[in-house]
Amino acid sequence: MSSSSSTSTVYIQVIDDVINKVRDEFITNGGPGEGVLTELQGLWELKMMQAGAIVGPIDRSAMAKGMGMAAPGAAAAAANAVRDLNVPYEGPEEYETPTADMLFPPTPLQTPMQTPLPGQTPLPGTAPTPLPGTMDNSYNIPTGGTPITPSDYSSINENGSSNNIGRPTPSPWMNQRPPLDVNVAYVEGREDVDRGAANQPTTQDFFLLSAGKRKRDELPPQYRPGGYIPQQDGAADVMADKLEVGQGSNSQTGHGLKLTSRIPQLDGPIPDPYDDALSTPNIYNYQGVVSEDYNVANTPAPPELQAQTPALINQNDALDDDEDEPLNENDDDDDLDDVDQGEELNTQHLVLAQFDKVTRAKSRWRCNLKDGIMHINNKDVLFNKATGEFDF
Amino acid sequence: MATFELYRRSTIGMCLTETLDEMVSSGILGPELAIQVLVQFDKSMAEALDTQVKTKVSIKGHLHTYRFCDNVWTFILQDALFKYDEFQENVGRVKIVACDSKLLVQ
Repeated sequence: MSSSSSTSTVYIQVIDDVINKVRDEFITNGGPGEGVLTELQGLWELKMMQAGAIVGPIDRSAMAKGMGMAAPGAAAAAANAVRDLNVPYEGPEEYETPTADMLFPPTPLQTPMQTPLPGQTPLPGTAPTPLPGTMDNSYNIPTGGTPITPSDYSSINENGSSNNIGRPTPSPWMNQRPPLDVNVAYVEGREDVDRGAANQPTTQDFFLLSAGKRKRDELPPQYRPGGYIPQQDGAADVMADKLEVGQGSNSQTGHGLKLTSRIPQLDGPIPDPYDDALSTPNIYNYQGVVSEDYNVANTPAPPELQAQTPALINQNDALDDDEDEPLNENDDDDDLDDVDQGEELNTQHLVLAQFDKVTRAKSRWRCNLKDGIMHINNKDVLFNKATGEFDF
Repeated sequence: MATFELYRRSTIGMCLTETLDEMVSSGILGPELAIQVLVQFDKSMAEALDTQVKTKVSIKGHLHTYRFCDNVWTFILQDALFKYDEFQENVGRVKIVACDSKLLVQ
């Protein structure tokens, strides 16, 4: 308990520190203003509470103590006072309630949220009452978020920048965005919505639809402004392929034969499975190579490379043989990969830290870490120092 | 001051990122300002961990994978045991990502 509460305290201090230090940027130079900053803090803290990272109502007095201990104590405290005064809601002590109020009063935000959700997602959890839905969402959010790897983080920035780039163009779209998105998402991307129901409805806000997309696929953000086009293409491709095959066989038997003849060729490797003696060794040999590489994985890079190479080979072969089926195969592979990663990362326990020293003696590894954040067993634990002893 | 974006993957960082995403997507917040907020978070989080946190942790486990790339150590442990304060946590599989602390020296 003490650890969790201290974690919560530090988190609150960090939030306040960040908010205070970016205040100038928000207020001056034509910034969006104090209200937006307040909304940012409210959303942030709400998400933290939903994620269980901040326990209970935010205790301002405890935070004040913490701020006093913190280096920027005086200035931060003063800034706090200022902020409290400016904050639209009353009672700085009762922070939790105001936070919710603060979130939902922005009617422009809320209205679009409610209208689309019931129609778009059949889930009852997303009912107009934001809290229950968001609560469920919150639990998915962190897990959904975890899949993002550090490299993805840069991509987030890139996404942000790409948003910037994309934004100017759809600026009208931004203004009209809620209604447009709703319609698009509902009509066109409906299947995807259903598939991603676990993630998307959970996204408490509308805007999270895009965020959910981004987490599931790295590409979508780019297409996001266009709105779900890639998803349609995916489904349409499948349909198109089937239709093409059927039409080809009907209209031109020659093409139909070619297509069918091609299929067995591609199946060529597959028929092996029917021959137990042949297929099993082949499969095992293939996997054996990969697994050996994983064992060799001592050198860091190989496993990933090895994992990717088969996919690349498949792509090349597929492209050489035929254009349509390879696409499907690749799509399947990608989906599987994403699912695998998602499953791994969703349940992932993570330690983020800095290392002072990492040493190895034979198979005995020792590492000294500092300034870390651990997310273990759904708990956040902060540490100043950590020592690790690993057997490889 | 150099900062690590590392901590953005934490719960608090993810919550902030999602918040900023929403606000940028809705046009309330400019992307440049959102990035400034993230950078400030990098600084504030690192500073808080350095000055506010005193917890010491012991980690033991079977090292399944190690990787050192671009000054970032990545360990994947199996059957790891975490001890801190009076707590003890068992984790079947945990990933440790650590940046070089020397890079952050001001």
